[in-house]
Amino acid sequence: MSPPGRSEAWDVAPVALLRLDEDGTIVDANRVLLEWVGRDAQEVLAGVRLSQLLSVGGRIYWETHLAPLLHMQGRVDEVAVELRGAGGRLPVLLSAVARTLDDDRRIVDVALSKATERSRYERELLAARTAAERSTDRLRALQATTAALSQGVGADGVARALVETALARLGASSAAVWVTAEDGTLVRRATAGSGWGGVEGATVPPDEPWAHGLHTQAHVLTTDPGEAVQVHASGVVVVALGAPAAPQGTLVLVPRADEADEPLDVGVLTAVGLQAGLALERARMFDQKASVAHELQIALLTTNLPPDDRFTVITEYRPGVQALEVGGDWYDAFLLDDDVLAVAVGDVVGRGLHAATAMGQLRSAVRAVAGPGVGPAELVTRLDRFVGQAGVGFMATLAYAEIDLTTGRVRYACAGHLPPLRFAAGGTHEFLWEGRSTPLGVHSVRVEATFDLDPQDLLMLYTDGLVERRGRPLLDGLEDLATAGAALRESSVSALVSGLLTHAGDERDDVCVLVVSWSPPDRP
Amino acid sequence: MTVLTRNNVVLSGNPGAPAMVFAHGFGCDQSMWRFVAPAFESTHRVVLFDHVGAGGSDLSAYAPQRYGSLDGYAQDVVQILEALELGPAVFVGHSVSAMIGALAAAQRPDLFDRLVLVGPSPRYIDDEGYRGGFSAAEIDELLETMDDNYLGWSAFIAPVIMGNPGRPELGEELTNSFCRTDPAIARRFARTTFLSDNRADLARVTTPALVLQCREDVIAPPEVGRYVHEHLATSELVLLDAVGHCPNLSAPDQVIDAISAYLSHVAARS
Repeated sequence: MSPPGRSEAWDVAPVALLRLDEDGTIVDANRVLLEWVGRDAQEVLAGVRLSQLLSVGGRIYWETHLAPLLHMQGRVDEVAVELRGAGGRLPVLLSAVARTLDDDRRIVDVALSKATERSRYERELLAARTAAERSTDRLRALQATTAALSQGVGADGVARALVETALARLGASSAAVWVTAEDGTLVRRATAGSGWGGVEGATVPPDEPWAHGLHTQAHVLTTDPGEAVQVHASGVVVVALGAPAAPQGTLVLVPRADEADEPLDVGVLTAVGLQAGLALERARMFDQKASVAHELQIALLTTNLPPDDRFTVITEYRPGVQALEVGGDWYDAFLLDDDVLAVAVGDVVGRGLHAATAMGQLRSAVRAVAGPGVGPAELVTRLDRFVGQAGVGFMATLAYAEIDLTTGRVRYACAGHLPPLRFAAGGTHEFLWEGRSTPLGVHSVRVEATFDLDPQDLLMLYTDGLVERRGRPLLDGLEDLATAGAALRESSVSALVSGLLTHAGDERDDVCVLVVSWSPPDRP
Repeated sequence: MTVLTRNNVVLSGNPGAPAMVFAHGFGCDQSMWRFVAPAFESTHRVVLFDHVGAGGSDLSAYAPQRYGSLDGYAQDVVQILEALELGPAVFVGHSVSAMIGALAAAQRPDLFDRLVLVGPSPRYIDDEGYRGGFSAAEIDELLETMDDNYLGWSAFIAPVIMGNPGRPELGEELTNSFCRTDPAIARRFARTTFLSDNRADLARVTTPALVLQCREDVIAPPEVGRYVHEHLATSELVLLDAVGHCPNLSAPDQVIDAISAYLSHVAARS
């Protein structure tokens, strides 16, 4: 016995109720449903399928998700879909159960409840989530950009980092960076992706397709000066690097054409432009400082030897890998008197401008305290005194030799420095391990040693950057140098140094090499 | 990460027999074949897999660029067949995977013995002289619904975001049930699927094919099935007495019979 009123409940329930056959065709519907969709029973029960009452999204969703699920698990719960209602789309939650009746017919019972309020709330949640996701994405892109820019060394390094980030993180299919040169012209410093003709270092070629319609202002390519990010009619995006009024350069982006990609984010690009502007400014100062240090070092390394048939001196200097890290290596060669040539190679502790200036002072000190009749041991003793008095060059090392150009006799001393290396004309070699004492400023008894050069012998003085490698014993490094040096007569000092530094890696120190040979004077 | 784990490839059936690959369509995963695939286990090496973004695939392998066109999915199919080294396979593709299989077969006919296309559509949007079943405005509405409107689409994560204090197990059950799809990927997959136009690619397919078409299907109507049949070099068309887009679930016996009959008479002829 049914409780009273139960049969009316079908029509007056606070939800829309339907019964579908196995195909999804509506075989019964309550009055609520008819009201919601604005149709009469005759119309709805004439072979209409539930999916036809849904919005397109709902229809496809029914066919691709819900009908399969009803077949596989027999029910779905609280699925959000939209009815095509009499007064527009009506958000509803759909629950359905599939079952088999006594007569073996398989049917689906469906209940739809209104979800207008709930959907509004849900949309707000979604909007909040989308906003949160967007700002997370933006932050990630910005972080990646900042990290990449901070790795770039010099203006070229920053430009390269920027175009690479543009492709990896900012949605560009290709990108180029133009940097404002001192004379106000734009010079291309880096590109990534295809479609860029020409070479780095080019000034703006007006016939590039993307440049069409852009003005080359004094400082920047622009459609509208003062705007940080401009989207050109061709789709090309132009981003000012630094303050839009006085940018350091321009980033030109071609967005990816793929439909599935998110569009470029103007907010992110604006922030990237500002970041990159600062990075470029820093890079310019860095480049300037680096070039000051290098010019200083090269000036300090100049030797002025008069041409002389009795000897040749060949020198080579290679800076370390880190551009600003000027080292304290030096070489020098000068005549003590008409018949004695002095050669020196030294190494000041530390790096940077401080080491470079110390090196300059010590190098001058060597010339000042050297003199006819002083000799290597006494010279090193006097340098100890200079180091103590001037407070410069403590623990510096030095290899110093005086060559008698008449006889070939060599007097030498090594203050904590690697031994000079002698290559004999016959192909043998010899490290000169005598005449050794402590580095400068560490007082000890200074000694010297003597040997005789044969004509065509080569005498090499060098700094530790040539032979020291992380993870390799020093003696192995010396052996490699001796082996490589055997070919010195057929090649050049420069080639020898390049060969030895090939596998030096990113940690390379700077390197000084000096090679001297002696020929006996022609007897009259 | 191998191709086989990326696509959650599952092998069953007769190890020495010819390969039969089942590819699921938009919206679901390999469980779509649960009523059909077992029928071929005695005669074939049965291969099931999930497209990247669906089911048990590796979601982290989803790359918008690669999967922004059906070619990316076709590449995956080629990679799976190459990795399995099972010889030329019978490829059974449902819905969008029918076209994915056709693209893969056009590119690498050596990997395919036969194609079975269940509810194929080379283009969903009507065009001049072509009826795909949807107007451009309807697909726009669909994509807009998916992009902008949480409701009407991503039902499976609904219980998660809405919370369901009364029945917390419900969200769990739904998200772990069949047809698991990542909603963000589903949105992109819908875009890729419903905006694709592969009509011109049909002529490039040389592999013999069977087209299975439901008599009523709002997603791929019968005239679309006929269009595919007429534009393939060698194909047969079988109209199933079924309604809806998933005869592999609603009428699995008919699907099994049609495929078996096709494979046996084609084999007998060749």
